[in-house]
Amino acid sequence: MTEARQRLGKKGEDAACAYLERKGYVICRRNYRCRYGEIDIIAAKGGELSFVEVKTRRNLNFGLPRLAVTYAKQQKIRSAALFYLQQENRHQQMLSFDVIEILVEGNVARLHHLPHCF
Amino acid sequence: MYAKVYGETTCGINGEQIIVEVDISNGLPSFDIVGLPDTSVKESRERVRAALKNSGLIFPMTRITVNLAPADLKKDGSGLDLPIAVGILVSSGVLQQEQVDDTIFVGELALDGTIRQIAGVLPMILHARDIGRKNIVIPAGNCAEGRLVDGIDVLIPASLLELVEHLRGEKVLDVLDKEAICAAATSVYDVDFAEVRGQQVVKRALEIAAAGGHNILMVGSPGSGKTMLARRLPTILPPLTEAEALEVTKIYSIAGLLQRQERVMLERPFRSPHHTISSSALIGGGSVPRPGEVTLSHHGVLFLDEFPEFSRTALEVLRQPLEDGYVTISRVQASLTFPANFIMCTAQNPCPCGYLGDRKRECSCKQFEIERYHRKLSGPLLDRIDLQVYVPRLEYADLQSREAGESSAVIRERVIKARQLQLLRLQGTNLYCNAQMGRRELNKHCQMEAAAEKLLAKFFTALGLSARSHDRIIKVARTIADLDGSDIITAAHLAEAVQLRTSLNS
Repeated sequence: MTEARQRLGKKGEDAACAYLERKGYVICRRNYRCRYGEIDIIAAKGGELSFVEVKTRRNLNFGLPRLAVTYAKQQKIRSAALFYLQQENRHQQMLSFDVIEILVEGNVARLHHLPHCF
Repeated sequence: MYAKVYGETTCGINGEQIIVEVDISNGLPSFDIVGLPDTSVKESRERVRAALKNSGLIFPMTRITVNLAPADLKKDGSGLDLPIAVGILVSSGVLQQEQVDDTIFVGELALDGTIRQIAGVLPMILHARDIGRKNIVIPAGNCAEGRLVDGIDVLIPASLLELVEHLRGEKVLDVLDKEAICAAATSVYDVDFAEVRGQQVVKRALEIAAAGGHNILMVGSPGSGKTMLARRLPTILPPLTEAEALEVTKIYSIAGLLQRQERVMLERPFRSPHHTISSSALIGGGSVPRPGEVTLSHHGVLFLDEFPEFSRTALEVLRQPLEDGYVTISRVQASLTFPANFIMCTAQNPCPCGYLGDRKRECSCKQFEIERYHRKLSGPLLDRIDLQVYVPRLEYADLQSREAGESSAVIRERVIKARQLQLLRLQGTNLYCNAQMGRRELNKHCQMEAAAEKLLAKFFTALGLSARSHDRIIKVARTIADLDGSDIITAAHLAEAVQLRTSLNS
């Protein structure tokens, strides 16, 4: 992965965090990694824990960013989330799997939050 | 957003309304179709997606769920593409719900958004009308079927975009004009009975068969003209009545055979399957049952040449439709009833070598060979054939005679007259000819003069007739009386009926 693309992803995740905090979420973890996979953001709001996947794109040449969250990716996030819950000993938790897509075109970035995706 | 659109599918030979519900909700893009769709319906996802995109309309990148109700009915065919696409347009706000409420949509989508023709549109339109819908949208390729049905407005947009513009009121499509089903008075055949020399008895038998819808068996040595005669049977059949034409067209619409002919069935069907046909091809079959030859010859003629060469199972399955006039085919997926009211016309040789009973040539068959040949045709099957005639070899003089026989048109005239009497008599019963009469009609319409009754009683015991053949002889006698223009069955009518049935036995 080139540095530029990593930077874009990082920027996107920062923007997503800022957005979530603005919406009243509390960020619990960022870039949570375990052997099952990675979760970009874990945030909590109103007793509900959200596992958020952030996708950032510069153009629509390959379709909407949300299309990149494939079934395999969803399964990865699911198992990583389960591992996280076990680690933290948080059972009987209300869960939500969200996608935040960010489209950067020139100086304008558009953010789209899709809660309860999968 | 939720949308509800109406579509149609076929079930047997009838249409069935399908409610297509579309729900669009936030989430990752997905497109699911639930409600027992078969593969061709599931594939409509890809067609709908591409058709919307290529029509310049928006395919929503969200979670789309399509439900096809009633959920217990198996849906097949590609005709649900259009209601699904319209449903998506309504739920994504391009169209309004009230713009599609009174309309039924039927059609397959091409990837560029044009609407392709599908099979089975006629029964769908009829059903839509019967449940009180005001409009139906069908593919332009099916417009011949659309013209047939009164009491419902039929629209034929060329493409999805045209339909959307129409529904939005931006560009109004013309309602398809209706066309009366006119009798095939103009039908042209390239054969005629006038070309057949001699064979007066067989011609008479065929005339009776055509007039009353009776089954006929022709037995004769090779080259005596059995097939030639049978091929001319359609030329003397009466034209289809409007109700019959609609029924036959419905069947051909479902079988997908209309597309090639691109017209309404105005002539009675004449089917002559090869003798290697399987029993399921004959009566219908398939995992979702499709009509077989007996149904395709509904209200027409099923011609079975080389009758004993058909497989035993194929012949025996004919027994039930011959008696009841319909077949019920049960498979895992569905159990369907198809109409099968046809004249069975069969031809065969008298023995394997073909010359048994011939005046000029010796039969070379052994007795057991002949017996085996005859055993292929079971008693119950032969019992259902009302007219059994021998087709004799022609003499040289017959062949050379310049005297033209009666033309098909003349015979047809008489047949039509006899049929009209029957239609009048059977009014309000859903029956069209004498052969279809049941016990009740038999008692009501077949008065015999005393001499005829006496004669029948004598024949019945002397020839050892079955109860079924008793009824069938009376029906044939009724037809002969109709040809004669007589209200009552006389002894002469009855005698001819008995003679035509039993002449082969001696």
